[in-house]
Amino acid sequence: MKNKNWVLAIFILPAVLSFLLVFLYPTIRTFVMSFFYVRTVTDGMAKWEFVGIANYLKLLGSTMFRQSLKNIFLIWVWGGIGVFAVAGLFAVLLTSEGIGRKEKSFFRAAIYLPNVVSAVAMATMWIQYAFNTKYGLFFTIFNALGLEKAAGFQWTSPDNQFFAMTLAYSFGMVGYYLLIFMAGIEKIPRDFFEAATIEGAGMLRKFRGITVPLMRDVLRTGIVMWSISTVAFFIWSQMFSPLDPDIGTITPMVYMYNLVFGRNLTLTDPRLLNSGAGAAVGVMMTAAILVVFGLVNLLIRQRDLEY
Amino acid sequence: MTMRKLALLVLAIALAAGALISCGGSGEEAQKAELVYWSMWNETEPQAMVLKDAIKDFEAVNPDVSITVQWNGREIRKTLQPALDAGTTIDMWDEDLERIVKTWQGYALKLDDYYAQSYPSTNGKAYSDTVMASLQNHLKTLSTDGGLYAAPYQPFVVAVFYNKDHFKEAGISSLPTDWNEFVDACAKLKAAGFTPLTIDDAYMDLPIGMHLNRMFGNPGDVEALVKDRGELWDDDRILSVAKDFQMLADGGYMSDQVATNKWPAGQQEVATGQVSMYFLNGTWLPNEVMGTAGEDFPWGQFAYPAVNGGVNNSAATFGAQGFQINKDCAHPDEAFALAAHLTTGKWDEELSTKTYGAPMDTSMSWPVQISDCEPIFAGIDGFIPWSGGLAADTDAFPVVKAAFTGLLTGKVDAEGFVAEIKANL
Repeated sequence: MKNKNWVLAIFILPAVLSFLLVFLYPTIRTFVMSFFYVRTVTDGMAKWEFVGIANYLKLLGSTMFRQSLKNIFLIWVWGGIGVFAVAGLFAVLLTSEGIGRKEKSFFRAAIYLPNVVSAVAMATMWIQYAFNTKYGLFFTIFNALGLEKAAGFQWTSPDNQFFAMTLAYSFGMVGYYLLIFMAGIEKIPRDFFEAATIEGAGMLRKFRGITVPLMRDVLRTGIVMWSISTVAFFIWSQMFSPLDPDIGTITPMVYMYNLVFGRNLTLTDPRLLNSGAGAAVGVMMTAAILVVFGLVNLLIRQRDLEY
Repeated sequence: MTMRKLALLVLAIALAAGALISCGGSGEEAQKAELVYWSMWNETEPQAMVLKDAIKDFEAVNPDVSITVQWNGREIRKTLQPALDAGTTIDMWDEDLERIVKTWQGYALKLDDYYAQSYPSTNGKAYSDTVMASLQNHLKTLSTDGGLYAAPYQPFVVAVFYNKDHFKEAGISSLPTDWNEFVDACAKLKAAGFTPLTIDDAYMDLPIGMHLNRMFGNPGDVEALVKDRGELWDDDRILSVAKDFQMLADGGYMSDQVATNKWPAGQQEVATGQVSMYFLNGTWLPNEVMGTAGEDFPWGQFAYPAVNGGVNNSAATFGAQGFQINKDCAHPDEAFALAAHLTTGKWDEELSTKTYGAPMDTSMSWPVQISDCEPIFAGIDGFIPWSGGLAADTDAFPVVKAAFTGLLTGKVDAEGFVAEIKANL
């Protein structure tokens, strides 16, 4: 037995070592870095300058950083509600008995499709085509319906681009959560639904009484994953404002990127670069995810279910 | 014991072989100067195509030099410095002139001595006599010690781009030189049935930055607006600048799309003839929209008009790309010879023709699409940084940009513009 443990340790060692090296070490280094002024990310530790919590205070004092927090919070809430509602609805519909095998796979593939297309291509399509106020998709549809005011809606103007960006992003995310929810529903034994049907339960009753309670774990995972992808919100923001972040499109990751690497087009004064503050953004975002994770665990208790 | 001996023997042989191989390698290559060039272009861009041919040509003429190119694209802005810090051999690189001198001067070789010499492509003249004087002066002001830390190429200037046919049809006989004439031209265009002006979100900061610079006469004062904020925005000159722009909104001279334009939607409005003028853009505009506009598009350019009550009316935003040589480069003479080969003479002309861009060599003529920019460039007497200094504060910049979009599209008036900025800064 003792011998066996020793062999086990040897086999695990490479994995543990690489985990420590490529995961734990950068995490700790980033955390430490957030308390220093570090001009460029490649600066050796000798060049770091201890500043205490100044980086954090500076971030919280920055109007754009606060705006970026507000933006991802709103994406998290409104985008989350929208995506989960639509994905949930589709998942229930596509797993119901009424739908055939072929239709099911077709819709599943069709709704998932946006996830296959690169986010850059998706965003370009939305920005340059769907939202265009002269020949865009929405313009054409609303115009055909005679809704001139809706057709004239300025999707990508500074006032509306946050809404436009959230909508476009959420549209693409539905398919991903649809797959997760469908898998969750399909895991629930058919017998439950059949028994309920025989007892005379309608679709809504079955959803409330069987699907939702047995989907708790899936929902929990879903919320955590949604939170992680929202915190990492970057590409869509970059696509909407490729050169300089705008009020409606800035997110913490974009703010961090600009702090560490400078802006895309115009030269950033090298004195404004601060990788330490960038690290602080990372630490704050990690903390935010941990908080969400804790809250979700607290609010949606895990229950051991056997079926 | 024998096992250990065997292992030692194998090791010894391996070591010896390694040493032999490396000796052989260095012996063979000693004659040849190897240069590593990290490029700001992607391999498929027209600039890269020309540079590739030019480098091949250089290697043919100088058989003792071999050049390895790494096509980085604009990612070089982020990758170059870490690579240099890590000790990667990079003998030369290129990027925007302002960027390379301001951020990488510490890594670069001072080129003043090389500027004084002549090269095969300079027709017997000194290198400094072929390169635009304005750019040489600019280079000196960018560096901390007044030295020349780059070899520029592909100069650009920011100007108003217009459709010459539209101007002719609207009966505009002389180009606007001040704000009143500019607004007059807009009125004439509108009366003739044209939409006078458009711009994209990407360039939205240029007109306001330029106008404020014309008014205040000094980029430092404009920078102070975003850095020190507060009461600075109560200055009457700001209201006057805002009122100038309000004239454009009130007159209905802006395209309806301006509020929603995401680059390059506005450029396409001009390229397809729907709009007569692009408010401000760089010399690269005709190249960017060549696919839509075609070679025969009647491009014209004029400098940003003088501002009523302004003081800095001949300054402009201009610049170039530039090559920089590593201060630790083992073959600096060859490296500068290559830079000279690429930025003057035949290959400078080739680059200009293929990219519809401006040539570096003062003896070359400019492509017809941007020929109006040549006198603009010659008339510049001061430098205005990109967005006029408004980008100096990353928190304030988006606020100013958003408010200015509102002003230009008639969402707010001049007073509302100032109030919005003051409330959000």
